[in-house]
Amino acid sequence: MVLNINGRDQHLKVDVRTSLLDALREHLHLTGAKKGCDQGQCGACTVHVDGKRELSCLTLAVAVQGRKINTIEGLAGADGGLHPMQQAFIDHDGFQCGYCTPGQIMSAVACVHEGNARTDADIREYMSGNLCRCGAYPNIVAAIKQARSSMERG
Amino acid sequence: MADDASWFGVPTPRIDGVAKVTGAARYGSDEPIAHPAFAYLVTSSISRGRIADMKLERAREVPGVLDILHHGNVGSQAKPPPSMTGDKATNTLETDRIEHDGQIIAVVVAETFEAAREAAHKVQVDYAVELPSASFDSSGVTAEPKKQKENPKVGDAASALAGAEVKIDAHYSTPTQHHNPIELFTTTCIWDGPKLTIYEPSQFMWGLKAAVAKQLDMDPANIRTVSRFVGGAFGSRGGTTSRTAWIAIAARRLGRPVKLVATRSQGFTIATYRAETRQHVQLAASRDGKLVALSHEGWEVTSRPSGYNVGGVDTTARMYACPNIATAVNVVHADRNTPGFMRAPAETPYMFALESGMDELAYALNMDPVALRLVNDTQTDPVSGLPFSSRSLTACYDQAAERFGWSRRDHKPGSMRDGDWLIGWGCATACYPTNIAPCAIRLSVTPDGRATVQMAAHEIGTGAYTTIGLTVARALGLKLNDVVVMLGDSDLPPVPVAGGSNNTASTLNVAAKACEQVRDRLAAAAVADHESVFTGADPKGLRLSDGMLVGDNRHEPLAKALGRVTGGALEIHAENVPEGLPPTAIGSLYKGTATMLRGGSRKDVTTYAFGAHFVEVRVNSRTREIRTPRVVSAFAAGNIVNPTTAHSQFMGGVIWGLSSALHEATEVDPKTARYVNNNLADYMVPVNADVPEIDIIMVPEKDERVNPLGVKGIGEIGIVGMNAAVANAVFHATGKRVRDLPIRIEKLI
Repeated sequence: MVLNINGRDQHLKVDVRTSLLDALREHLHLTGAKKGCDQGQCGACTVHVDGKRELSCLTLAVAVQGRKINTIEGLAGADGGLHPMQQAFIDHDGFQCGYCTPGQIMSAVACVHEGNARTDADIREYMSGNLCRCGAYPNIVAAIKQARSSMERG
Repeated sequence: MADDASWFGVPTPRIDGVAKVTGAARYGSDEPIAHPAFAYLVTSSISRGRIADMKLERAREVPGVLDILHHGNVGSQAKPPPSMTGDKATNTLETDRIEHDGQIIAVVVAETFEAAREAAHKVQVDYAVELPSASFDSSGVTAEPKKQKENPKVGDAASALAGAEVKIDAHYSTPTQHHNPIELFTTTCIWDGPKLTIYEPSQFMWGLKAAVAKQLDMDPANIRTVSRFVGGAFGSRGGTTSRTAWIAIAARRLGRPVKLVATRSQGFTIATYRAETRQHVQLAASRDGKLVALSHEGWEVTSRPSGYNVGGVDTTARMYACPNIATAVNVVHADRNTPGFMRAPAETPYMFALESGMDELAYALNMDPVALRLVNDTQTDPVSGLPFSSRSLTACYDQAAERFGWSRRDHKPGSMRDGDWLIGWGCATACYPTNIAPCAIRLSVTPDGRATVQMAAHEIGTGAYTTIGLTVARALGLKLNDVVVMLGDSDLPPVPVAGGSNNTASTLNVAAKACEQVRDRLAAAAVADHESVFTGADPKGLRLSDGMLVGDNRHEPLAKALGRVTGGALEIHAENVPEGLPPTAIGSLYKGTATMLRGGSRKDVTTYAFGAHFVEVRVNSRTREIRTPRVVSAFAAGNIVNPTTAHSQFMGGVIWGLSSALHEATEVDPKTARYVNNNLADYMVPVNADVPEIDIIMVPEKDERVNPLGVKGIGEIGIVGMNAAVANAVFHATGKRVRDLPIRIEKLI
């Protein structure tokens, strides 16, 4: 099958049961998206499909052929410059162990694009599909508010 | 070393931040491996009995299946991992006996993850089922008093209780909990001839290496464990679990790397957990609130073979000035997997009981709960009579109470209200022993003004890369960007288990020692050199600053000073054995045993960090919905190395405490002794919308006796007492005392 990932077509031959998450991690060595539950409960595997956030563990790879898939590895600029959301997570210490972080950031970028990051209460509600066991939540909210401003300006 | 306050305290973003936000940080299962086979575990669906028959035909027929490991073919090839408490572990493939729910009984290996999973589900097991004992009230459990060490005892608590003016007598209970780090339990094993490399999230690189060597009867020198980043641990990766050896054996049988990513549900039974407890607390005081007796007895569940317990009375007996103290701990053996360390293992359950009891005593005395704590604050360890190296509990209460607005509280339960919402304000004490252990480091300094630190330390979210980097940068007078920090690899010098909040003190004190050795070498050579600007100066007066060797109004570039000593780079291997431990403790560390100098076991001082939590709870008068809109917590924990990551550690701990109070409990089926809610949808952990405004105050504290750098560990203190603070606030809101965690709506109806 052919998957378009971070703007490039990737050819791969996988079991039809392969999730998008396992296709990324085990076949394309894009290990930014994480496996935290493999059953749609934690959000660590969040990627963008056609610009919308999706749980890659609940998505079969075969089902997203012809769609535009973006992962954390494709979020920074071509020059390596960090996306404002990535920088904001660093600035506000929006993580500790960092394992849920790629999923949090992909969710957060989508959250801003959706218009669901207008208030603190909205951010908290619309980011509640991404578990952070270390408890960085208040810092994640602060990071999203900072990035929202620069994303809207940009 | 600790006299220069500017060493620490500057908020600094994590040096591993870019790796973490770009997906570049490599966790155990992220390591690129050539042509791995995939393993999938088969775990028992009963909790007690025997495997009568295991039918593998249908599993073997699945295309791509390469091997199936089970009791019949590999059972004798590995021993169970040594337990961290030194007693017996439960079995896995070594036997046909089933000792707990979800015990590993087979490992299926296949070309793909999908094939391994399918085949694992096609393994048919016939069991000879026996009636299991699930927990405290089950028939068939056996109980015994704790064995390892004596429980604290002072004076005559029974007589003091009998004659006291005011007393409380209450029973408390805390539930089973699972760590549930978001990273799953994974293991990848690769053989290269006799050498084995293990990629696995670990809180003790050298411990894992030593344990697997024992299990497989190998020379530890042939084992390398790698864990550059750990996706949350909270105690769950401190001990070695059974899975690792079986994956190593699978890889050896196949002659090919094997990768295991266990499922979320399997994580509940193939690793450890926080066992449920029951506790009995009796407190007695004179009318002025001074404690005259404290009695605390605990009961904890464990597996059949292990005597594991957390025994939190070691801490609760030291909390307040009290002349009569009696404590006891009992273990109750059931058909369960062996419990283990989970964030503030002893203090989370035991301080819930003590700090709830203190609130009950405050109401029995009609006294403000803060005032009761302050009247019983002490600078002397009531058990040993030794001074605390520092204890800033009163300062924590004062600062947090003021920020919270505690003086506006009406003491009467049910007296504060906002429309339909009953408001309760509660407080509790936080504490954690300050522990430290032997540690080693390799440090190299090069003429271009760069340093490289190498040690097998553990980045479990604590910010270890950054705190170690900061320590070296400041001690060597370099920029943080010019310090390379390499951790998480057992080929590097050993670091003790990242548990008991010791790793910051252990790693930073050895790092400072190594830097001091660099300075000593450079200074000694500089003053001895007749052509040096430092000729004849006192070497003790020289220091490293801004890439220079400086002192006595003179300076020279680092490159010049280094050139004099080595002509190039200077590399130091340093070891630190904290004063109070035997010199052999460093040898034990190389053998995979972390001997800790514990806060309550020192001969000179008792070392603890303290804090105070304040929380507002709102309980809906109609629905009994419970919300916690705000928390103020103050902590005093010696020198704070990096306020940025320290704040996150404290805040994360507080959130764990809220979770312990209101969310977390693993349900154990009393009939089958199986975990019911073994997934992240049914095991409640806080989501973003659950978490309130959290105000963290870091109370300045200088402690010159705790260790040379004056740092106290902070990874665990944040959770301690928070559950009690919430329960106390719920009482204040509703008049209802909940003594059994977690506090959910049904307990307030």
